[in-house]
Amino acid sequence: MTIVRTESLSKVYNPDTVPVHALRDVSIEIDESEFTALRGPSGSGKTTLLNMIGGLDKPTSGKVFIDGQEISRMKDGERIDFRLHNIGFVFQHYNLIPVFTARENVSFIMMLQNRDKREIEQRANELLDQVGLGDRKDARPAQLSGGQQQRVAVARALASQPRFILADEPTANLDTEAAMNLLDIMETMNREQNITFVFSTHDQRVIDRARRVITMVDGAISRDEAQQEYGLREG
Amino acid sequence: MKTLIALSWRNIWRHPARSSVLLAAIIVGLWAGVVAVGMVNGLMQQRIDYLIESEITHAQVHHPEFLAEGYSWLDIPDHDEIVSWLENDERVVSFSSRTITDGMVQSPVKTSGVRIRGIDMASETRTTNFHENLVEGEYLDSEIRNAAIIGERLASEHNMEVGNRVVLTFEDINNELISASFNIVGLFRSASVDYDERNVFVRADDFIDLLSDQPVYHEIGIMLSDEEFAAPLVDELNSAFPGIKAQTWRQLSPELSMLVELGGVMVILITMIIMLALAFGILNTMLMALFERMREIGMLLSIGMSRRRVFGMIMLEAFMLTIAGAVVGMSLATLSINYFSDAGLNLEMFAEGAAQLGWDHIIYPTLSIAEYAVILAVVVMITLLASVYPAIKGIRINPLEAARDA
Repeated sequence: MTIVRTESLSKVYNPDTVPVHALRDVSIEIDESEFTALRGPSGSGKTTLLNMIGGLDKPTSGKVFIDGQEISRMKDGERIDFRLHNIGFVFQHYNLIPVFTARENVSFIMMLQNRDKREIEQRANELLDQVGLGDRKDARPAQLSGGQQQRVAVARALASQPRFILADEPTANLDTEAAMNLLDIMETMNREQNITFVFSTHDQRVIDRARRVITMVDGAISRDEAQQEYGLREG
Repeated sequence: MKTLIALSWRNIWRHPARSSVLLAAIIVGLWAGVVAVGMVNGLMQQRIDYLIESEITHAQVHHPEFLAEGYSWLDIPDHDEIVSWLENDERVVSFSSRTITDGMVQSPVKTSGVRIRGIDMASETRTTNFHENLVEGEYLDSEIRNAAIIGERLASEHNMEVGNRVVLTFEDINNELISASFNIVGLFRSASVDYDERNVFVRADDFIDLLSDQPVYHEIGIMLSDEEFAAPLVDELNSAFPGIKAQTWRQLSPELSMLVELGGVMVILITMIIMLALAFGILNTMLMALFERMREIGMLLSIGMSRRRVFGMIMLEAFMLTIAGAVVGMSLATLSINYFSDAGLNLEMFAEGAAQLGWDHIIYPTLSIAEYAVILAVVVMITLLASVYPAIKGIRINPLEAARDA
């Protein structure tokens, strides 16, 4: 089942002065349970495409559909609410709330969804256990390593039970061990819970583990290829 | 909401030093402001109480034209019936009938225009505390015939002292000019130098003998169990006795009434001046905090926190910081006001100047619950106004800030 669909997506910055074509006529479809990497050099448009899919930015032309709903035509407030219930975000710089503990960071998004207090607490604990931070639930971000913070960010992204998760350069600030650890967690969730991940990256370690790799050059898709199944590659 | 409050409160303490400086400014500013308001209030209340208790009383009865003309033949009609009415009214604590006319005091040195007040010592002492102003000699209970007490300042201008004689000249009820010699038995000093220069007190009996064949009274000063009874009481008196004019102290002394209203305005004015200065501190702190957290707020908007909630979070931060400061500042001010309302704040160095203006130099600050509420309302209002701009800037942050490099 297709979750994300873009139609002839274009984005031009500074159209009246020095036009910069960040996206050129991009049409893609992302299905449920995909583990997809957007790769390409800096300035190739992968983060812009991610922002369009995530409803963080509006295209100059073209359309973005999530589960059949055209989010590119939604008003700002509607898009914020849509993101809250449908899209999980993982940022390169983790972007956790520094004054909250790991558990509070994960709970916060569920609080925004006005969920039941007991349910919030239970789910936050479960997610932190799943990302291997069961013993660091009450630690604040400053007390956690980069890898641990990014794992909290993944737990936060999952907390709202989104349709898919967008991760912008999730391993860019992590050492190899932390990056592999994070990818293991994301892969496991994808495989066991059918959670859809779309991430922008130019980290070969991430690209190697993606099932589908979309390569972007100068704002356009130059290649879109499926990779080996995990089982085959791991074998 | 609980989480939002927790987040806002913790956000305040991200930079303890910066928040503490602002908090200290709010505490000191509000403490100073509230104490200043309490002092202004105390000063005004003392002035009002003094004038009511020593002279004006809560309500007065006159002939309708007496206050404007001052002639001795404009005496109160139906005086005995009014006295009987007052004696039977539960709201009336005491009252005193006075025989008054304008005249002149003459000494070997000079002649001055004065208001001659004939008082009944027993009822006047029950009604006012004017007798406490005596600074030298005796009160009018002296056995000396035609006794008079005059203001210390008037005595000084006439180069007179206790034991000297003055001549009082005035018109009797038949429009005849009367002059009589009076013996100075005492000197008084009220809170107003002007009052001391323009009033001479004599015994009502002595004065009535000179004015008329039968008792005449020009003023009845009435003290009530509560100031609030004044307005209904004078209304009742005016309708029961159409030939008189009863007035409340507010009507008799509009400037005193204005002083009360001025007190209310001062509360708002002083608080607003202090809070406006603090508002810039709040604005600055909130803007600094906002600029440091652009990426974080971008993240909150990205993950689905509504702009309304972001607005609320920023407003809540400013509000909680100010309210914390306001509570501490106002508590300290309450302690200070409570202490000085008993002990009094002695501004002796200004005593002479204050007396010239009719003010006391020992101030007993006071502040009502309503005034505390007004101050708190002004604090809240200005804080909210000061935080609107940072909050608006906050909600205009682009969620893409979340992905921006540090």
